Amino acid sequence: MLRRVVWGALCAAAFAGSALAQGQPPVRIGFSIAKSGLFANGAAAETRVYDLWREQVNAKGGLDVGGTRRPVEFVQYDDQSSGANAVKIYEKLITDDKVDLLFAPYGAATTLPLAPLLERYGMPLVANTATSVHIRELKPGNIWFVSSTVHDHVAEQLVKLLQQNHISSVAVIGNTIPPATEIGRFLKDDLAQAKLEVKVSESYPPDITDMTALLSRVKQAKPQGIIELSLFNDSGLYLRQSKELGVDAPFQFVAIGPTVASFRKMFASNTDGIVTLGMWSPEAKQWPLAAPFEASFVQKYHEDPDYLDSVLAEMSCEIMEEAVAKAGLDRAKFREVMATTTFQTIVGDVKFKGVENVTTPTTFLQIQGDKTQIIWPSSIATAPFKPKTMH
Amino acid sequence: MIAFLLSGQLLVAAIVTGTLFAVVALGLNLVYGTMRLINIAHGELVMVGAYAAFVGFSAFGISPLLCTIGAGAITGALGAALYLGLFQKLFASPALARRLEANSLLIFFGASVIIQSLVALGFSRTARGYRYLDTVVHLGDVALTANRLASFLVSAALCIAALLFLRFSVYGLAIKALIQRREAAGIVGIDVERIQLASITLGFATAGVAGALVSMTEQITPFMGFPYTITAFIVIILGGLGNLAGGIAAGMLLGFVEVYGVALTSASMSSVLTYGVFVGVLVLRPEGLIGRSGAAP
Amino acid sequence: MNVARAAPSAALVAAMLALPFVGSEYAVAIGFELLMWIALTQSWTVLSGMTGYISLGHAVFYGLGAYFVVLTYGTVPLWLSLPLAGLLNLLFATAVSLPVLRVRGPYFVILTFGLSELVKYVVLAVEAALGEFGRMVFGVPGVIALYWIMLALAVAATVLVELVRRTRFGQGLLAIREEETAAEAMGIPVVRYKMLAYGLSAIIPGMVGGVMALRTTYFEPQAAFDPIVSFTILTMAIIGGSDDARGPVLGTAFLTLLSELLWARAPEIYLIILGVALIAFVLLLPQGICGWLFPPRRPAT
Repeated sequence: MLRRVVWGALCAAAFAGSALAQGQPPVRIGFSIAKSGLFANGAAAETRVYDLWREQVNAKGGLDVGGTRRPVEFVQYDDQSSGANAVKIYEKLITDDKVDLLFAPYGAATTLPLAPLLERYGMPLVANTATSVHIRELKPGNIWFVSSTVHDHVAEQLVKLLQQNHISSVAVIGNTIPPATEIGRFLKDDLAQAKLEVKVSESYPPDITDMTALLSRVKQAKPQGIIELSLFNDSGLYLRQSKELGVDAPFQFVAIGPTVASFRKMFASNTDGIVTLGMWSPEAKQWPLAAPFEASFVQKYHEDPDYLDSVLAEMSCEIMEEAVAKAGLDRAKFREVMATTTFQTIVGDVKFKGVENVTTPTTFLQIQGDKTQIIWPSSIATAPFKPKTMH
Repeated sequence: MIAFLLSGQLLVAAIVTGTLFAVVALGLNLVYGTMRLINIAHGELVMVGAYAAFVGFSAFGISPLLCTIGAGAITGALGAALYLGLFQKLFASPALARRLEANSLLIFFGASVIIQSLVALGFSRTARGYRYLDTVVHLGDVALTANRLASFLVSAALCIAALLFLRFSVYGLAIKALIQRREAAGIVGIDVERIQLASITLGFATAGVAGALVSMTEQITPFMGFPYTITAFIVIILGGLGNLAGGIAAGMLLGFVEVYGVALTSASMSSVLTYGVFVGVLVLRPEGLIGRSGAAP
Repeated sequence: MNVARAAPSAALVAAMLALPFVGSEYAVAIGFELLMWIALTQSWTVLSGMTGYISLGHAVFYGLGAYFVVLTYGTVPLWLSLPLAGLLNLLFATAVSLPVLRVRGPYFVILTFGLSELVKYVVLAVEAALGEFGRMVFGVPGVIALYWIMLALAVAATVLVELVRRTRFGQGLLAIREEETAAEAMGIPVVRYKMLAYGLSAIIPGMVGGVMALRTTYFEPQAAFDPIVSFTILTMAIIGGSDDARGPVLGTAFLTLLSELLWARAPEIYLIILGVALIAFVLLLPQGICGWLFPPRRPAT
C-alpha cells in the first residue's frame, strides 16, 4: 500500500513536471486541510475532490486563467483541524508562498477564522463545507459559501418536511459541538412555532460511548419523529444502539454520516429509511454535470463521493474554475464575476447574494434500500419520503 | 422511573461499557506498573489492533474474534521490539533511567505521532468499518447486538485471565513483585529484564486485542486512538497505578457512572459526571480508589 | 545577575522587538507563535519546573482566558479584559489548588488533565444550554498589535519565573521538589507555597488564551481547551529543560523552528519526521537542550 502511494506520488510529480513543460507558468492554488485531528475523517471527502479536480483540469491542458491555460499546482498544508493553524497557514500561503488562488479548508471552525485575513489581503476564497449562520456576519466581497445547508435553513426545511409527512411529535437529541447545537437552536424555535410536540430534548458530549439510557427515554416517549443531530461517531452509535434497543419511529433523521459510502456500508441495514442532510444523489438525473463527476470519482476512488461534502467541494471548484476563466487573477473583476454570474455546477445553478448561495435549496436525502433518494424539496425530489420500518 | 433504573437493559449496558473500559486500560496498567513508562501511545496500539482486525476480516474473511490473536501478536511484537530496541538501553544507562518517566512521555508521544501518520499514509484517513455479527440478540428482556456481546465475553475473559495470571502463575507473581517493589525484585532473584519484556509484550498485546474487539462496532480511523488513551489513563489512576484488580474495578465504576449517571440526570451530563467523579475521587483519595498495589513507590 | 548571562537574553528580546520592523509578515507570525509558547512554558515552569508537580492540564487556564475575553468582547475594553482574564485564572487556580495539590506524582499529572477536560465539557454543556454555537469576534487588533502583547507576556512570564527562583519562596518550591516531607519538617509552609505557585502559573496562560482568541476570532470549546496545548507545553519544557529560564526558550525555539522547517519542506511526512526527531532527542539529549548546553555546576541529584 505504501509502495503504491510512493509510486503514485512519483507519477504525479512526473506528470506535474510534464505539465510544466508546456510552457505556461503554473497557477498555484493554496489551501490547508485537516490531515490529522478531529476533522481528518470528514476532510478526506474534500481533498479527494480537490485532487480529482486538479487531475481533470490539468488533463485539459490546465486551468483557464482569463483565456490562457495554465497547469495547476497545489500548495497544501495540514492544519491539524485547528482554526489557529488555519489562520497561520493561510497567512503563509498569501504572504510567503504567494499563491495565486486559494481553496477552502474543511469545516466552519477552520474557515470562519480566515475572514479577517482575506479582507486584509483582498484574497478571494470560495468556501464549501462551512455551514454556520455565522457566515452572514462576515463582510462580503472576499468570501463566498456554496453550502445551502446553512443551519437555520436546515431547521426550517426540516420542520416543513415533518409537517408534510404529518409528523406531530418529535424527540430531538444531539451533540454539544457547535454545528449540532446550531441546528438544535433554530430547530427548537421552528418546532415551537409549528406547534409540534417535543417529547424529548437532550444533548450529549462528543465523547459519548453509550446511549442506552438516552435512547430508552426516547423509546418510552414514543415520538413519531427522531431528530439526531450528530457527527460520524455518534451517528454510528445512534444507529447501532437504536436498532439494539428497538427504538422505532417512522421518521428518523441523522444529520451527518449516511452520505458517506463507507458509513452506509458499515451500518447497512440500520441506515435503511434514515433521512439525512445531503446535496445530491446518484438517482438525480436532471443535472448534466453530475453524472460525469460521479463516474470519474468512482473510477479514481472506487466508491461513491460523499453526497454532502464531496458535492460541496466540487461545487466550489467548478465555481472557482468558471470565475477564473472569466476574470483571470484580477481580484476586482473576480468579485464582480462572483456577484453577478449564475454558475453551472453539478447540482445546477448557483448564484450568490452577499456571501451566501441563494439558489440551491436545502436538500434532504433518504436511504431507501440500497439507493439514496432525494426526498426534499419536491422540486428536485427523486422519490417521496417513505416511513421507516423496523427490520 | 424506578423500574427503568432497575432494568436489566441499563445494568447490561453498564457492565458491557465498564468491561470495555477495563480491558482497554489493562495493558497500560501493566506497562506503567512494572516500568513506570507513560505510554501515551496506548490508544494508537488499540487503533493498530482495530486495523489488523479490519484487514483480517475484510481481506481474508477471518472472524474478528479470531483476529484478536493476530492483532495481539502484532502489537505485542511492537512492544517487544520497542523494549529490546530502545528501552532496554534506557534502563541500562543510569543517566537516562533517572529521567525515564519524563522521557518516556516524549518517546511515546513521538511514537504515537509516527504510528498515526504511517497508518494514515497506508490506509488513508477515511473511516473504515465492517459489519460482523450485527444482529440483535435477546436475553430475556435485554437486547444486545451480537458483536457487543461477543466483545464483552472476550473482554471479561481477558480481565479474569489477567487476574488469575497475576495471582497464580509464576510469571504473574514476578510481575506483581516488580510492580510492588522494583528494587527488591531484582535482589530476590527475579530476572527483571525478562519480566519487563514480558510485561511490555503482554501489555501491548492486550491493547491490540481490545482494538480488534472495538473494530466490530466502531469506525476505524488513524486518529481514533486518543480517546482510548485518555480512558485508559483515567481508569488506571482511578484504580491505583499498577493495581490491575483496581483498574478493572475502576473501569467498571466508570461504566456504571456513565450509564446510570445519564439515566439519573441527562445525557449532557455524561462527560461532566465521568470527569467529575474522577477528579472527585482523586481529591478525596489521592492514591486512587484502591490505592497503589502494595507498599511505597 | 551577571552581564554574561544577561547578554543573550537581552539580545533575544532586542531581536524580537525588531522583528515586526524588519521581518516579513510570515516571520512575525512565527515569532508570535514562539512568544506564545515561551509565555506558556515559562508560566508552567513556575509550578511544574519548580515544585516537580507536573501539570498536564494547563490548557484549562488558556481556555478559560479565551472564553472570558470572548464573552466580554465589546463590553469590556481589551486593556481591561486581558488582565482580568489573568486575574480570573489566578482565582480559579487558587480555589482548586487546595484539593488538587493533595495529589502527587503521576496521579497529579492525570488529575490536572482530567480537570482540564472537566472544565471543557462543562463549558460545552453550558454553551449548548445557552443555545450558542461557537462565538465570533469582529474588529480584533491586527497581528502586529497582538504580537506586541504576546511579547510583553513572554517577557513577563520569563521575569516571573526568574524572580520566583531568586526568592525564598522559590527556594522553598525547589525544596518541595526535592523532598516534600523534609521541606515541611524544615518549616516551609508547603501547602501555601504550592497554592501560590499553582495560582501564579495560571495568570499568564489565561491572558495568552485571550490573545489567541483574538487571533483566531472564533471561539469553540473543543479548540480552546484542546489537550494538545497542554501536551505541547510539556514537550517544550522537557526538550528545553526547565531548570533554568533559558530552558523553555530553547525548547520552544527548537520545536517551533523544527516544525516550521519540516512542515514547509516535507508536508506529507512532517509529522513522522517530527516523531522521530522527538525520540532521537530523548536518546541523545536526555537532560534537555539546557542541560546539554549549560550543564549544572554541581552534580544533579
